[in-house]
Parts: sequence; structure tokens; C-alpha cells
Amino acid sequence: MIESSKTKYVQESDSSSSTSKTKYFKSKKKQDRNGKILVYIVLILVSVLLLSPLVWMVSTSLKPMQEIVRFPPTFIPETIVWQNYVDTVQSFPFFKYMGNTLIITIFVVLGNVLSNSFIAYGFAKIEFPGKKVLFALVLATMMVPGFVTMIPQYILFTRINWVGTYLPLIVPSFFGSAFNIFLLRQFYLSINNELIEAAKIDGANHLYIWSHLMIPLTKPALITVGIMSFNGAWNDFLGPLLYITDESMYTLQIGLQSFSNQSTTQWNYLMAGATLVLIPSILLFFFAQKYFIEGMDLTGGTKG
Amino acid sequence: MHANQTSNNNGKNKRKKMNWNKRKRNEALWGLLFVSPFIIGFLAFMFLPMMFSLIGSFTNYNITSQMDFIGLDNFIRMFTTDQLFLKSLYNTIYYVILNVPLTTAGGVFLAVLLNRNIRGITIFRTIFYLPAILSGVAVYVLWMQLLSPTSGLINLVLSFVGIDGPAWLFDPDWTKPALILMRLWSVGGAMLLYLATLQNVPRQLYESAEVDGANRFKKLWHITLPMITPIIFYDVITSTIGAFQIFQAAYVMTENGTGGPANSLLFYNLHMWNKAFVAFDMGYAMAMSLVLFAIVLVLTFINLKLAPKWVHY
Amino acid sequence: MKSLFKRNILKYGLTLGSAALLLSACGGEESASESGAATEGEDGRTTLEFWSFWGSGSRRDAIEDIISDYNESQEEVTVEYVYQPWGDIWTKSLAAIAGGNAPDVIVQDINSVKQRAEANQATNIQEYLDEDDISENFYPQLWDTVLYEDEAYALPFNTDTQVLFYNKTAFEEAGLDPEDPPSTWAELEEAARALDQGSGDNWEQIGFYPRWNLGADIWALNADNGVSWFNEEGDIRINTPEKVEALEWMLEWQDYYGRDTINQYEAEFGSGVSDPFISGLVAMRGQNINYYTNLLENAPDDFEYGVAPLPEKEEGSGHWSWGGGFVLEIPGNTEHPEESYDFMKYLSSTEVQEQFGMNSFDIMANTEANENLQSHPELDEMGHRIYELADANLDVTTITPVPLNAPDFSSLVNAEIDAAFLGEKSAEEALNDAQEAVENLAE
Repeated sequence: MIESSKTKYVQESDSSSSTSKTKYFKSKKKQDRNGKILVYIVLILVSVLLLSPLVWMVSTSLKPMQEIVRFPPTFIPETIVWQNYVDTVQSFPFFKYMGNTLIITIFVVLGNVLSNSFIAYGFAKIEFPGKKVLFALVLATMMVPGFVTMIPQYILFTRINWVGTYLPLIVPSFFGSAFNIFLLRQFYLSINNELIEAAKIDGANHLYIWSHLMIPLTKPALITVGIMSFNGAWNDFLGPLLYITDESMYTLQIGLQSFSNQSTTQWNYLMAGATLVLIPSILLFFFAQKYFIEGMDLTGGTKG
Repeated sequence: MHANQTSNNNGKNKRKKMNWNKRKRNEALWGLLFVSPFIIGFLAFMFLPMMFSLIGSFTNYNITSQMDFIGLDNFIRMFTTDQLFLKSLYNTIYYVILNVPLTTAGGVFLAVLLNRNIRGITIFRTIFYLPAILSGVAVYVLWMQLLSPTSGLINLVLSFVGIDGPAWLFDPDWTKPALILMRLWSVGGAMLLYLATLQNVPRQLYESAEVDGANRFKKLWHITLPMITPIIFYDVITSTIGAFQIFQAAYVMTENGTGGPANSLLFYNLHMWNKAFVAFDMGYAMAMSLVLFAIVLVLTFINLKLAPKWVHY
Repeated sequence: MKSLFKRNILKYGLTLGSAALLLSACGGEESASESGAATEGEDGRTTLEFWSFWGSGSRRDAIEDIISDYNESQEEVTVEYVYQPWGDIWTKSLAAIAGGNAPDVIVQDINSVKQRAEANQATNIQEYLDEDDISENFYPQLWDTVLYEDEAYALPFNTDTQVLFYNKTAFEEAGLDPEDPPSTWAELEEAARALDQGSGDNWEQIGFYPRWNLGADIWALNADNGVSWFNEEGDIRINTPEKVEALEWMLEWQDYYGRDTINQYEAEFGSGVSDPFISGLVAMRGQNINYYTNLLENAPDDFEYGVAPLPEKEEGSGHWSWGGGFVLEIPGNTEHPEESYDFMKYLSSTEVQEQFGMNSFDIMANTEANENLQSHPELDEMGHRIYELADANLDVTTITPVPLNAPDFSSLVNAEIDAAFLGEKSAEEALNDAQEAVENLAE
């Protein structure tokens, strides 16, 4: 019975994504093509602007320091120093720190996606007394500036002996974060209740509806939360700085800071390191996007 | 599991009501189960620190050696002797008022622009999202150059249309707009949310609108925007909260929180940071945070009350 | 249905459960192997944790060598070095002190020792000094910074001072004597005019601009007999006639080059990536003497430059300069202050100071170390010249500890000075208003 309501939905989405072009006149097509070219021009122009810091980063990462300090700056390095990357990776335990960062990040992403969608479902689709008050509490936790709770929170984690471990960085993400709860609640609210009612009549409980209906239906939203959590944890600096005490447990962002001190900055190494750190984020976003296209009927065709 | 099969009981209202109550209770238990991780997490990790800073705001807490009750002194000082408090509040409100609508509109615009299946769209989306994950010195260096009064790209573009661009980061009247411009550049984060939402807009809606002869703009106005209002609502609330707490950009752009030309970039949180970690006047900073909390709370409440008028679920 | 439900509970339960287990497993391991405060090692030695921000390069190598020498030299204590990021190290140490797991020894900012002493963030070390007074080893103004209510709370480690760097090649081209750098403000102006190339919006070379790399506060102090915004007694001395004059002098420089030129340069070089001095766009600049290491590493081999004390306002007013530096401190409430002090004393000894200075070109707090470095066989002529100049300059270098009654006063003063440079107030009005604002804050 449950299976049937699920397959019904799947069938629906399949048929809507199948393309069958009818009803379109040639003039409309031509107009579309002109529009397309315009869109490309806009996209390319904006892309150039948006990419400029990345180009500058990569170009700086390949220059010797003597060239970096020169003015006017060279756009393409006159001398390309690949050695910068080797030096960067060797000047601190780069791959060890990368592994550390990855461990934290994987748990945080897992925790965030699971807990927030779970909690958000409760707020969006189940009626229970005190819901409004609790949700107001969720929103309130976003409004407290982090600085003032930072020290008491640190003291708290010291008392339970978590300082010096990854626990303060990971465990809270398994209990939801206000921004993500709120976001997913909004997504869930816009999902038709009929689907849930139908599943209920078929005998499904909320846990089943959440895991077998909501999660598949809101994949793009969950991927979004996943991407944001990944970038948040991957680039987090203050958390690891405060809670990690052992240098062998440091993360990449802390390692990168070692290229700046009170009087000098090793721009070439700093930029090489920053470029390496950026690559996983870019790859993740690039590949996670396929979930944003799935189910889209993009050629503008109509359903039969 | 079988409770829902009782609806055809004719006349046996009592039993029906009992069942209904049972169902309701059952439902409430499910609800509490689902939100329980938040409750547990809140009690375990947030409640005590929040209470601590609430209490701290009525003391002269300096983090390491003193925490004496001083009544409302901190709050009185804010509005009497602290010359920078109102300045920082003004700077912050200025930033919020311009920043929130612009970034929301920007995010929606980008998402609609990129929500199409054309060749290379994944690459474009990646590029547009990139600024949201790029941070730190590279961005700072770039913007110093882009906003350079005489040779920067932005004033160059403005000069093409006959506008004599301002000195941006060096003119106290233009430092905040400069920061808003920077923020707009990284609007790809909001774009991501809208892009994800647009996947849920049923194609059929567009198709039937097309049959009725709706043009692109009409489809956007009557279908796309209403369908994404829940996320616009989310974006407005969270970006208001986020904008009130602006810190990082100002801290980096003003050489470690000094406040920029004529303190024009001394935002609320920057002032709070200086009080807490430069002057070790943590009690005062906690009091400031309480005031900010109250302001944001009121605004969010108004937002929530207005929501039913324009948010469609 | 029921079995499905069970399976799901099992599935998610397992995922969560295993995650929690894994976490507590690695957590347990880690917390067993280390903890913030000092511990007894297996060999009966006390372990001390030492934090600084020397994360890579020559400073890190030097400090690690120094620490391993210390660990080998005795059998009581093992010092463990932990790198913490520059700047953020102090946020972290503050949290750690509040949480009760601070390191045993930490490198701290020299200007805020009194502030930390007042708040119990630093440990009083006077008793060890009463046994063996080593205060004479340091420059006197550095020693003053570590005293709170006449008792010591830290040992000075290194310092710096602001000097004038000038491009010798540019001097020769402009017909100036590269061995005779300007010594007064008037001479400085004269040299700058000779070095200037360009006019209006278009400059190929700028002789000198006082506010690049040096704050207005430094020139104010230079003019006012070495007295900063606060004098040694803690009196507020912002609107003195000398300081007003200094601000007027700086405003003249801005008028001369034009605000647009200044803004353009600051936009291009403010981030500190491109270097206008090395690029030959600026011929003279006041700068921290540490800048020597940048020149050493980043300037082309044929780049010829000289260093000199900051010019004085007029002959006889004194080449007053400003300095900063770092101290070694025992955070509050740590378990082994005695052992920690012994290690600090070792770090501030002449030999170790010499070793660190030689590898980092830092100006050390120990006077004898700097004197030795002036003729150290492993340094070249320029290296000797740097230490010579630094040592002499420290006689006229003021350190400006944070005033206890107004620790965050600087944003008030800076805002008024900005107003003067924006043409909104005269120098005198600006400094009068600043004086008043800081007096209000200090009350």
C-alpha cells in the first residue's frame, strides 16, 4: 500500500520530465534562440568579474615573492613557480590536516542533514502543543550574537572534558541548527499535505513518511543543506581554533594561518594553500548540482 | 495503525471522540519525538551559555576575575557615556536596510537567470556560487583594488555612463555602500537556496499558463515568485539577523576592527567585540547583545505577523 | 508495515549510534593523550605547554631548536611547543584561561600586560625576581610595561621600533647624498620635494608621505618629546600644542599630494601585497625596523637602500619613535609557575635571545643580545647596521601600554583625526574634541 503511493509520485515526476515538443511555432523558437544568446553574453560577462579573485589567487600562488610585491602587478606570472605548491604542502602537515578537516566535515554534514530534516519535519507537518513556542525558540537561538556565548560555551565544554577533541565541533550538529531547521521547515511546508494524508491512510507513520516521502521529495533542499554544511565546516576557523589543543589535530584553515605573522605574509604559499583548500568545495558543488536539474523539464515542452 | 478506520462509525460519538483524542495525543508524541533533538541540543549546549550571558549583562564580568552585580549600569552607560554605541547602531541599521532587500532580490534574480537547461549551465552556476565560498584575504585584496577611487574597475565602469565615482572605502559616506556591494557580489549563497526551491515548482503550472498566453514576465510574477515566497521569507528573516550581526567583512576591511574612516564601519558587533576582547568589558558586551537581541526579536516578530499576507505555502 | 518501521529505526539508530561511538572513541583517546594544563609525563618530568604564533619558517625552526636544547639541558621539565595562529592566539588563550586549561607559558602582546595583570589573566612573577633580579637585562621602557602596581607579570621577549627606510638609488638620481638621509622634518620635506616625480593626479615617484605605514599617533609622539596620547603618569595629553602642530604638518602633506593621490595609493597598496617601496614608487618611508626581513626576502638583489632614525621635528627635539613587542607570560591559575618561570628566564637569557635574533632578525628585548648581534660573525654588514640602529633607536623609543582606565580609547581619537584629514575639522578642533571624548571615557 505504501509502495503504491510512492510509485505514484515517481511516475508523476517521470512523466513530467519527459520531453515532447508540440504547440510551438517557429517564430517562438527563433525568439528563444536570440534570448539564449543574450543570456550567454550576460552570463559570461558576470562570470569574468566573479572569477577575477580566483584568477588572482591562482596567479599569485604561482609567482615568486619578488614578483608578487612588484607594482604594477603582473597578470600572468613571468616566472611560474610550481615549487610553491610543493613548499606549501611541506611547510605544515598538509595532508594530515586535510584528513582531520575531512573527518570533522563528514560528521558535520551527516549530522546536519539528518538532524535538521528530522526536526524540520516535526515543525512543518505534525501538530503538537507548544510548537509555536518551540519554533520561536529556534528562531531566538539565531539572534544571540556568538561572541557573548563563546566563552561560556567554552567553559561548558571544558567542564565535560570535550576541549581537545573534535566533539564540540561535531556533536552539536547532530542536534540541529536553527538556520537549517528553519530552511527545511519552509521547504516541507510547501509540500502538499495530500501526499502525507494519503500515506497515512495507507498506514504509514511519520518516521516512514519522513524517510520515504519527504527525503526523496526534497532532495534539492537537502543537497543545499549538505553543501552549506560542508563549506561551513570545511572553512571553519574559530571552532577548531578554540577547541583543538593538539597541533597534530589541527585543520587546514589553522595551517594556512601559519604563513602570516606580525611582520610578513608569504602570499605565494598562502594563496597556493587557499587554492588547494578551495578545490574540494568547487568539485562538490559542481557535481552535487545534477540534483538541481533532475526532474526539470527545461526545454519548455508540454506534458501530454 | 488501524485507528483511522473508525470514521464510518455512525452515532458512536463518544468512541469517536476518544479515538480522536488518542490520535491527537499520538500525533503530539510524534511531534515531540521529531523535535526532541533540538530540545536536547538546546538544553545541553545552548541554554546555559545563553543564561550566563543574560545574567552577565547585569554584571561587570571581565571573563577572568570579576563578576559583580551592577544592576542596570551597563544599559545606562550605552545611552549616556558610550559615544560610539549609537554610532554603531546607526551604522548597522543603515547596512541592514540596504542590504536585506538588495541581496534578496539579487539572489532571486540570479536563480531565475540560472534556472534553465542550457549548455554549460553547471559551470556557470559553479562560478556564480564561487564568491559565496571564497573569503579571506584574496577577496579583501581584490575589493581594495576594485574599489580604488581613481583606477578601480567599478569607478571606471561608472565613468562610462558619466558618473564620477566616489572614493568608496576612503569616504565615510560611501564605506557602507562599498560593503553592501561586496556583499552583493557573494549573493550566490542565496541563489543556491532559490535554485533548490525552483526545482519544486511544478512544470504543469507554466504549461497551463502558456496555454493561456502568459508571457515570460507574467509567468515569473504569477507563478515563480509566489511559489518561492516561503524561501524568500526565510531569506528575509535570516539575512536580517545576519546583517545585524555583520562582523567579519568590517573587521578585515578596517585593520582589525578599528572602525574605518570616521568610524563609519564601526558596526554593532565590531563595537561589541572591542568591548569584550580589547577592553575585557564582557558584561557590557553581554548587555549590548541583549539589546540587539531585543531589536532583532521585535523585527522578526513583525515579519512573522506580516508573513500570512504574502507567503504562500 | 511494522517490520519496515523496525528496520528504519534500526537503520537510523545504527547510523547515529555508530557515529556517536566513533566520536567518543576518538574523543577519549585524544583527551587521554593530552590536556591543556601541564601534566606529569611517564619519565617523571613535568610537561609544560608553550604557545606562540611562530608557525612556519625561520622563527619556528629557531624556537624549536631552542626548546629542544632546553629539554636536553635538564631533567625536570619537558617543554612542548604549540603553534597558534597570529592574533587569534590571544582570543584562544582568553577562553582557555576562563576555562581553566590555559598553557603554561604564552607569548603575549607587550602593550596589554597591565590589563591582564589587573584581570588575573597573568601570574605575578615578582617572587622569582626578588630572588634573582634580571630586570637590568632589558631595555628600561620594555621592563616598565611588565610592571603592574610595581610587581612584574611578564618577561620582555622581543621588540621593534619605527625607523626611516630610503631608496639610495633614488637619492643618487635626485642629486641627494645617499649617505646623508634627512634628519629633521624640514630636511625630510626638502628631500621629498627633490625625489618627487610628477604632479596633480599623475605621480611616478612620491618622495614621502608621513601616514603610510606609520599612524598619525607616531608623528604626534615624535613631535611631543616622546609623549604619547597618555603620558607615563596616565594623564591624557592629546591636544598639546606640539601634537596639534604635528597634525597640521601631516595635513600639509595631504594637501600637497592631494587626497585623491593618497587614496589611490592606499587602495592599491593598503592590502600589503604589492610593495610601493620595492617597486620604486615611494622613495622614503617610515616603517617598523622588521621591514628589513621583507627587503631581504623580496627585494631584487640590486636594490640599494638605507635606514635612519625617524627625522626629528626640529634640531634638538629628539628623534622620538614608537615601538611594540612581545612578552613571555604565565597565564593565570596554572599549575607550574616555578618551572614555567625557569623556562621563561632561559628564553630571555642573552645566549638564547641572540640565537633567536640571528635567525629571525627580530630586535630582542635583552640589551646584551642586541649588542652582540651588532658584530655577530654570522650576520652581514647590513644585519649589523640594523642591530646598531635598533639599539640606538631604543633610547628614544616610547612604548605605549594600553591605559587601564580607557583600554579602547583609540577609536575615539582615530575618528577625530579622520575628521581632520577629511577637512571637516581643523587640527586643533579635532584634537580638542578627541581630548574631551577620551576624558569622558576615562572617567
